[in-house]
Amino acid sequence: METIAVVGASLAGGTAAAVLRQEGFDGRVVLIGEERHPPYERPPLSKEYLRGEQPLEAGFVRPEGWYEEQGIELRLGVRAERVDPGERAVHLEGDERVPFDRALVATGARNRRLDVPGADLDGVLDLRTPADADRIKESAASGGRAVIVGMGFIGAEVAASLRSLGVEVAVVEFFPVPLYRALGEEVGRVIEGVHRDHGVEMHFGEGVERFEGHGRIESVVTTSGRHLECDFAVVGVGVQPNVEVVADTAIEVEDGILVGPTLETSVPGIFAAGDVASHEHPVFGRLRVEHFDNALKMGPVAARNLLGAGEAFDDPHWFWSDQYDVNLQVAGFARRWDEVVFRGSVRERSFTAFYLEGGVLLATAGVNRPRDVRRSMPLIARRARPGPAALRDADVDLRTLASPA
Amino acid sequence: MATEFVTVARAEDIDEGGMRAVDVGGRMVAVARTGGAWYAFDDVCTHRQCSLAEGELDGTTVMCPCHGSEFDVTTGEVLAGPATQPVGTFQIRVEGDEVQVSA
Repeated sequence: METIAVVGASLAGGTAAAVLRQEGFDGRVVLIGEERHPPYERPPLSKEYLRGEQPLEAGFVRPEGWYEEQGIELRLGVRAERVDPGERAVHLEGDERVPFDRALVATGARNRRLDVPGADLDGVLDLRTPADADRIKESAASGGRAVIVGMGFIGAEVAASLRSLGVEVAVVEFFPVPLYRALGEEVGRVIEGVHRDHGVEMHFGEGVERFEGHGRIESVVTTSGRHLECDFAVVGVGVQPNVEVVADTAIEVEDGILVGPTLETSVPGIFAAGDVASHEHPVFGRLRVEHFDNALKMGPVAARNLLGAGEAFDDPHWFWSDQYDVNLQVAGFARRWDEVVFRGSVRERSFTAFYLEGGVLLATAGVNRPRDVRRSMPLIARRARPGPAALRDADVDLRTLASPA
Repeated sequence: MATEFVTVARAEDIDEGGMRAVDVGGRMVAVARTGGAWYAFDDVCTHRQCSLAEGELDGTTVMCPCHGSEFDVTTGEVLAGPATQPVGTFQIRVEGDEVQVSA
């Protein structure tokens, strides 16, 4: 009987395992996860789960018993040490070996740590797993004051959730606005305003010099010498892909496991998906994406390609972030741009920003305007050059711009 | 027992390719008109409770505006995540100019 090993009981891994069965694969499927939970969604960990509005189970990719029903061997709480492409086997901790015919690596990423004095003090937290969220939740239960280090998506969402839990929040961010690298200064400025309205104190252009405290954190000292007292800190300064499992093998690695358009690695029959995959995207070029929807959509494509479909993953990329009453959605991908065109009202926080380079629409960000974002996706996928006047005009249905002029 | 229908809209109020959320005895129902036919299904997305009628209708697929879940409006089944649970569907008919949904 043929075996497909899925390394990483993650969103990408769990979804792929499910789709293997949906597509009629009746061989052995082994889904290996280091965490003790079955595959679950991470977005609620900074939002609904963190605020205690929703249990973890509500975000399970499939109900816990589903895997057994489907004849999927779910191996949880066990770490895969190495995927050996020559031997065609996954080595698990404790000397166990899972031989495979084909494999998917979906090991995700882990949080970067700040290498500064005091980073190991109690109360210096970060967020990736439910246990991490539980620690933040426990710290927040007594109110007090938190310092968030980094105002990317995780930092911004945790700040919003902590405010709604009644915690005072100060942020230290290296860039001049929140979400700067993803969205640039103009849109970042709007998000800054939202957080300011909710009482978040923000210090931009600042890094962390050190964490101070006696056993437990008492304050954060910034690079400009500011002392920010706090009861706990949450660090969200980016991630690094979990590539060690294929290190020193024939599987090529750079910033992530290198995969071609079909998500296949440099070794035939071995694929990678989700945060760990550095993907040759047909529209955007090489790209490693750390968002939910990417993992959710790569999983099924990887599964079908494990079964020989040879399908290129060409999704234009899309993600959301909920902060307070702001629903932010972003489609596409732009490393740089030379023009941002707005439609709607920035002041009323209902607007869409279109990021263009040389007239080509690369990305769209919508604040409380999901429809524009959705409707721009075919334009992004086609590398269309919609005129700025049409983009600016809210009466122009973006769908009418999708067909060739 | 015969199915009871309640009038929820006038046919002319909903364009081809359009949707509208209506209150049917306290339950929010989305009414969709697509391909010359009418469909009724729970307006509330099973993922994070957003209004599906605020989303996008493409043929018989509705996409949630908040997080992109897709449902088949003919059956309520999930076509794409993050939702995993289907939405309920309702019988719908047009009597004269009145759009009626099973209560």
